[in-house]
Amino acid sequence: MSSAVQTEQERTRARAHRRRQSKNWSLFLLFAGPNILLILAFIYYPLFSNMYYSTLDWRLGSSSATQIGLENYVAFFTSDSGLEVWRVTGIFTAGAVLGSMILGLLIALVLNKKIPGKTAARTAVFSPYVLSGVGVAMVWNFIFDPTRGGLSHILGFFGVSSPEWYLNEDWSLFMVIIVYVWKNLGYCAVVFLAGLQSIPKDLIEAATIDRAGPIRRFVSVTLPLLTPTVFFLLVTNILFSMTNAFDILRTMTPTGHGTNTIIFEIYLQSFGAYQRAGYSAAIAVVLFFTLFFITAVQLRFVERKVHYS
Amino acid sequence: MKKLNSRTTTGVAALSIAVLALSACGPDTSGDEQEAGEGVDWAEVEPAEEIVFWSNHPGGSVDQEEELIAAFEEESGISVTLENSGATYEETSQGFQTSQGTGATPDVVVLSDATWFPNYLNDSLLAVDEVLEAAEVDTDGYVEALYEDYVYEDSHYGVPYARSTPLFYYNADHYEEAGIESAPETWEEVAEVSQQLVEAETANSAFSFPPQEEYPAWWMQNLIWGYGGSWSDEWDFAPVSSDETVEALEFAQDATDDWASVSSGDPADDFGSGATSQIVQSTGSLGGILDTADFEVGVAFLPGGPEAEGETPTGGAGLMISANSEPEEQLAAAMFIGFMTNTENTAFFSENTGYMPVQQDADMSAVYEETPQFQVAVEQLERARSQDNARVFLPGGDLELSQTLQSILTNDVDVAEEMESVQSSLEDLYERDLASELE
Repeated sequence: MSSAVQTEQERTRARAHRRRQSKNWSLFLLFAGPNILLILAFIYYPLFSNMYYSTLDWRLGSSSATQIGLENYVAFFTSDSGLEVWRVTGIFTAGAVLGSMILGLLIALVLNKKIPGKTAARTAVFSPYVLSGVGVAMVWNFIFDPTRGGLSHILGFFGVSSPEWYLNEDWSLFMVIIVYVWKNLGYCAVVFLAGLQSIPKDLIEAATIDRAGPIRRFVSVTLPLLTPTVFFLLVTNILFSMTNAFDILRTMTPTGHGTNTIIFEIYLQSFGAYQRAGYSAAIAVVLFFTLFFITAVQLRFVERKVHYS
Repeated sequence: MKKLNSRTTTGVAALSIAVLALSACGPDTSGDEQEAGEGVDWAEVEPAEEIVFWSNHPGGSVDQEEELIAAFEEESGISVTLENSGATYEETSQGFQTSQGTGATPDVVVLSDATWFPNYLNDSLLAVDEVLEAAEVDTDGYVEALYEDYVYEDSHYGVPYARSTPLFYYNADHYEEAGIESAPETWEEVAEVSQQLVEAETANSAFSFPPQEEYPAWWMQNLIWGYGGSWSDEWDFAPVSSDETVEALEFAQDATDDWASVSSGDPADDFGSGATSQIVQSTGSLGGILDTADFEVGVAFLPGGPEAEGETPTGGAGLMISANSEPEEQLAAAMFIGFMTNTENTAFFSENTGYMPVQQDADMSAVYEETPQFQVAVEQLERARSQDNARVFLPGGDLELSQTLQSILTNDVDVAEEMESVQSSLEDLYERDLASELE
């Protein structure tokens, strides 16, 4: 008898459990379902479609294509133009990330002082970050113009002729790094500023009492406590510089004169002169896994070196 | 084990569905020949009541296009929707290519000398000979050199619309200051008058070559043709590194060491501001230069060389009909492109934009009276020559040539080595992207 009651109770509990589960699933689908569908449709479907296209020899707009397996990847990793893309991407990323972070930190240190007009200065420093990249690039095109540009007039005042910003590949790359750093350093400065203001003042005061000078205080106290900020900015800046610089590159050097970073190469190969949609898709897949790898390495190894408190 | 099998089965099924879904929306990879459309009996086709026209409004011609469309709608009763296809010919072609198979393809599209061929290869363009005949468009009146630019394998794939050629521009005030009495007729004479301009210190530069973004491989065909060279002979790319081509480009390289420079942007801006005394630039720039220049602008035929008398490469854009439109829409589109480029309307379009009249009998007398420079540009059409395949038909060919030209003009590189290198690049492009489709 007691066994039968126990079995009945277990069944009741199981039914209640199933009802709860069913209710939870319904709620989950109700709230998360639309978002999951959107993510599947607009992120994962294009991602996997692109991987499929990367195995094709396919001209943009053509209704037919040929399956060529991994040939597009082999071509990208073995051709001179593919190696040049890696070289340019490496230089651009290093210049953009280091330039933005070092200048951003210096500006943050200044803005962290008690100076008049601090709020206006912070606004001025951050505003380029929210401007359109195309607009920024067009203004800088006027500045860099070797014949009529403002920079050439300033250099001319000191008896220096303007570099061939648009004709020499090295200068072109340097030029777009300058513009990217100018646009991006406000973001670094604001994040560094937040990091600086979160450092407990008593630590700085203790170091001052111990007769540590400004440089020693910065190196031994401020910088170690800023490492979470440095780590965050390092990750985001590398990702941004590899993906977000397209508008500046396209506007200032439309055909990619020595400025073919990997994101720009994707555009040039498919929509530019060459019309190779399949090859371009392969480069896009390479970029995806490159960013995935960089992020994984940073999270796995660099984060260990960070002092969070 | 049973559970594992179930998971494996589910995984394989999901993967199969995913592969099917991905391949269903992509291009056809079966390798089967596309079924050619059956010949249309145009006598049985009635024109559609409505068509869509994509244009980037060459030369800022949106007002002229709207005016011509209104006149066409009134005359034919066919409604034309004008849609902006981008800022450049390249953007228009990108849009047209990516619209294929989406149901949003226009019936008529503006495509340039360098962008129509990839669309032909994609089977996106209609061969227009029969449909133009059905629409009673007289094609004999077109300037032959301009109409023949759209021929491939004995069929035309468009009609000339906003066409241009390069033209030699000079600052007549600077010429007078330097004691130069007439425009040069050969490249040797260009060198001589440029030396005089340098000595007279009339401007920062006596002559400006364009940078790679400003299509140097287009007009510099005149220079290499003048020396007996070329970018290619059909699909043979050996001429690009021939002695004649190298000699012409060594002349240009020596010039940049002496009396010429390379513009950082549009050479027309440098010329209009008086920073350079001579340029070769599109006839389509004539109106803009005349508007901005505060000096007397002189124009002349393109200079000749030791082997040829100033041959002039054609350029600009034509009107094409989509192969994916219904026959009724294609017939209406043929009527429309015939109307847009007829004798009266090409004169109107040229007068307002500076592009070449594409009909031999277009009455341009009023324009010549007001802008005598334009007459020189039109008369130069007698020397028109279709461009080499390497620049206009080979995807990426123009960019490879332009990059090489910029390298030669701005660095002290060995011209012969550079041209051998670009020959190799052009051959690789052809083998990889075109050869199998053209054989």
